[in-house]
Amino acid sequence: MIYTVKSPALLIIGILMLIWGGLNNSGAVDGMQSYLQKSAYSDHMKVKEKFDAEMRVATEMAAAEGKPAPDMKVPASKFDHVKAYQAQLSFIFGGAFVLIGLFSLAWKPKQGNLDYYVSVVPGVAFILLIAFIVRWGLDPVFANWGKAVKDAGTLTWDFAKIFNLNYVVLGIVIGILVVNVFKIPAWAANGVRTARFFLKTGVILLGTLYSAAELAQLGALSVVMIGVFVLGSVGIVLFMGKRMGSPNSMTAVLSAGMGVCGVSATVAASPVVQAKAEEIAYTIGTILIWGVGCMFLFPTVGHILGMGPVQFGAWAGTGILNSAQVAGAALAFDPHGIETLKVAEIFNITRVLFLPLIVLWLAAWYVKHEEGAEKVNLAQVVVAKFPVFVLGFIAMFALSSVGTFAPAGHYAGKYFSSAEVKEDKLLKGKETRALEGELTRLREPESAQALSKYLVDKSVILEGHKVTAEEVYQALSDLIANKKVMTRQQNNILKSVAKMEGLDALAKGSIEKAGKAAMHDSKTIKAYRDWIAWLFAFGLIGLGMQITGKALKQAGGKPLIIGGVVGTLKAVGSLIVVLMFVKEFV
Amino acid sequence: MEAQKFARGTSLSIFVSDRREDFSALIFAFAIAFGVMLIVG
Repeated sequence: MIYTVKSPALLIIGILMLIWGGLNNSGAVDGMQSYLQKSAYSDHMKVKEKFDAEMRVATEMAAAEGKPAPDMKVPASKFDHVKAYQAQLSFIFGGAFVLIGLFSLAWKPKQGNLDYYVSVVPGVAFILLIAFIVRWGLDPVFANWGKAVKDAGTLTWDFAKIFNLNYVVLGIVIGILVVNVFKIPAWAANGVRTARFFLKTGVILLGTLYSAAELAQLGALSVVMIGVFVLGSVGIVLFMGKRMGSPNSMTAVLSAGMGVCGVSATVAASPVVQAKAEEIAYTIGTILIWGVGCMFLFPTVGHILGMGPVQFGAWAGTGILNSAQVAGAALAFDPHGIETLKVAEIFNITRVLFLPLIVLWLAAWYVKHEEGAEKVNLAQVVVAKFPVFVLGFIAMFALSSVGTFAPAGHYAGKYFSSAEVKEDKLLKGKETRALEGELTRLREPESAQALSKYLVDKSVILEGHKVTAEEVYQALSDLIANKKVMTRQQNNILKSVAKMEGLDALAKGSIEKAGKAAMHDSKTIKAYRDWIAWLFAFGLIGLGMQITGKALKQAGGKPLIIGGVVGTLKAVGSLIVVLMFVKEFV
Repeated sequence: MEAQKFARGTSLSIFVSDRREDFSALIFAFAIAFGVMLIVG
């Protein structure tokens, strides 16, 4: 069979990308970009104003000394970096697509690996083009629009934020529209199917972003939550299925799907309980209807309830059935950070780790309730169906936790380093004088007592011990002497002190400024985050292209009723537990 | 045989077992991880 479909589409996509890269490089689309990248453009204007002022002074000084005007270059702003980044990606992918496009038009395909891999590229380019349009175009347009409507007073809330009209949701919606309204073009079909591969790669790569302490905290929480809700859901479906007179095999696959991780659990449990093809179809349809609804509804509810990344991640990872939809909901909730996705995926992976246990339970349940049930080799089923890439995530985390990819302390994307504080970020004279004034005041008996009371009341704890007033004095003295924060511990102490009431505004601002100056972006972690965001964006657009009306129509009858009841119980129950017990600790 | 080798099913669940795809994703993810480490790190 020949997979490659002769079409100029790949070549056209490549040329479009090259054009976009060229337009960004030449500055021809600066007007449009200044609207799309508002915050970066505002930074650009500040950098430019500062440069103009410095240039004026330098020129005047040079003129006074009779020297020629100095040759100074405008420093690159965030806006320049954004444009350069878009141009770079457009050139890399556009160039590759043009070359492969020309090759595929000239080449006479022969059956084999090369034919298959060439046939995949146009679909990949198609999704990537949508991802570029959504991430660089539609996402900022909706964000600006939502903010403008709120600022104008037309609405009291930001509709784009509440309805999560960001690149994740827009990408999935475009995917759904493409497949249901226009149909996926034949030349793109093979590439679109790679979406799952990119999602899996994203999950494995996510393993680079956890610290051991973070994973230990989240892991303990997820085992408890998932344990209760997975086992609870399976139990309720089995109970309801028996009461409603559903066939045992139907009840068993539905319980695996509703309890563990959607489609995969259904597939893994089906041979054990000898499920029929139509029962699997019913279950998958039910899971999809529920999962797609949750994917759009959860982030909106999360924003309305003001949930944080840990709370929302825990809720989505527990309450949503399908793994890809968990990732979709987490990224829709927090599209420009990765914290929510990190939490949600830990819950997701914990759930998958429950899969062998559930398969065992269902096998025992089925043999007990079904007359003449054949015994199946359970170990063989678990080994054959267990997702290997979950082990890849664990291996990646193991390498990451010993500092293979980035030094410890870099996982949050920022790290503390006093040595890397730049000269122009050191505290100025008036700032250190304000701090000296505060240090003298805090040493006076009355203020010293207030400080000690504040430290006790707020339970300011550092490395297991309560912070004392002496440590605060030392941190302030070191800050004044060095004009920068010297250690991470002192930074934490000073951050707590800055929140104290009655502190001089300039001193407070100086502490905050010094703290910010000592925190640096980890380039490696930022690169991993970028890769992960693109992999998920790509995978989720492809996921949207797989949600067809036909697949959703497979649901119906008793499975839909049982699924609806159990899905609602799980979503609402996990929401209540999360709101009551899960605090933001990451 | 050929069609089965390249059949990728659907993307509806990332956890549907497909060993070939899992291992490819594993290799790709490790290539990115080490690539970023060497180039950026």
